[in-house]
Amino acid sequence: MSQLSTLPDAELVQRCRAGESDAWNELVERYSRYVYAIAVRGFRLSEEDAEDVFQDVFTRAFMRLETLRDGSALKPWLAQLTRRRCLDAISGSGREQSVEEVMGDEGSADMEEVEEAFAVREAVAGLSEACQDILDRFFAQDQSYRTISEELDIPSGTIASRIARCLKKLRDELEGRNEAAEGSGE
Amino acid sequence: MVARCSRDSWDEAAGVAAQAQAIRDRAVVLAHTDGKVWEDALAALGNAQAQDASDARRDFALEQKLERAAAAPLEIAELGADVAALAALAGERGEGTYRADASAAAALAAGAARAAAHLVQVNLGVRAGDERLARASASEQVADDAAARLLGPTR
Repeated sequence: MSQLSTLPDAELVQRCRAGESDAWNELVERYSRYVYAIAVRGFRLSEEDAEDVFQDVFTRAFMRLETLRDGSALKPWLAQLTRRRCLDAISGSGREQSVEEVMGDEGSADMEEVEEAFAVREAVAGLSEACQDILDRFFAQDQSYRTISEELDIPSGTIASRIARCLKKLRDELEGRNEAAEGSGE
Repeated sequence: MVARCSRDSWDEAAGVAAQAQAIRDRAVVLAHTDGKVWEDALAALGNAQAQDASDARRDFALEQKLERAAAAPLEIAELGADVAALAALAGERGEGTYRADASAAAALAAGAARAAAHLVQVNLGVRAGDERLARASASEQVADDAAARLLGPTR
């Protein structure tokens, strides 16, 4: 994990503004999946259109980063850029469906899922490496307790408890973030 | 269910319930896969028996199908072991009112692990000394031990 990957958004933005190319790479790496997910899951764009949106959003972000007043608002700012660009793509594609039809209730639900997934992803990044690893193995790689036990060399009888404790930490992390967001009026 | 009902008295309950949900989701997919690969293997065996002459390509395809037909129950056996372990944990640390439910879940999971291990054992593509037999048998044992912690020895 690079040092940049643990930087808060506000500092990352500051470094990007100072012209650090590594910081810019980190910004793209941090939010590439997010932007892509909004385009594909939220707006149901084709892979080709989503790729165009992706390129365009980060180009615009690069050009307009100076206009972002509060660096900690990077994520909602990117989300807004992405949504606008997706709407442009839909209206320019000659689709017969209206934007409302494309988004609909299902689209909104998908957007909520995207937001939730990224909130969880950010919270997971705030956990210890050991917790990140064991949660990834169980929930993302579908590894059995036995496989986890063998690969991490820990007693298999303790795996379920370890995962449960890591999930508790994850919940605390998420609740802390939510409270902080509510407190700042985000 | 046991973990969900134990949230007030057990701080790992929500995490255990989340794991149970994840395992359930995996099991649904695996059960479907198991049925499909078994049908494929059966059809391939039927075709092989209908033709007299040996054909290397056909034999290879049959072997691949038998491999897949053994892989699914092996995963189910491991999943059964995980469910039984989780049920044992919930039975021991969760709300006492629900211990009998946890015991029942552990016993069912042990049964599923045993049945799945047997399916691995009788698969024509699995021969004596195969590592998959050992894995399936170990999963069966883990599930049995977990159930026994709540119910006493089952065999």
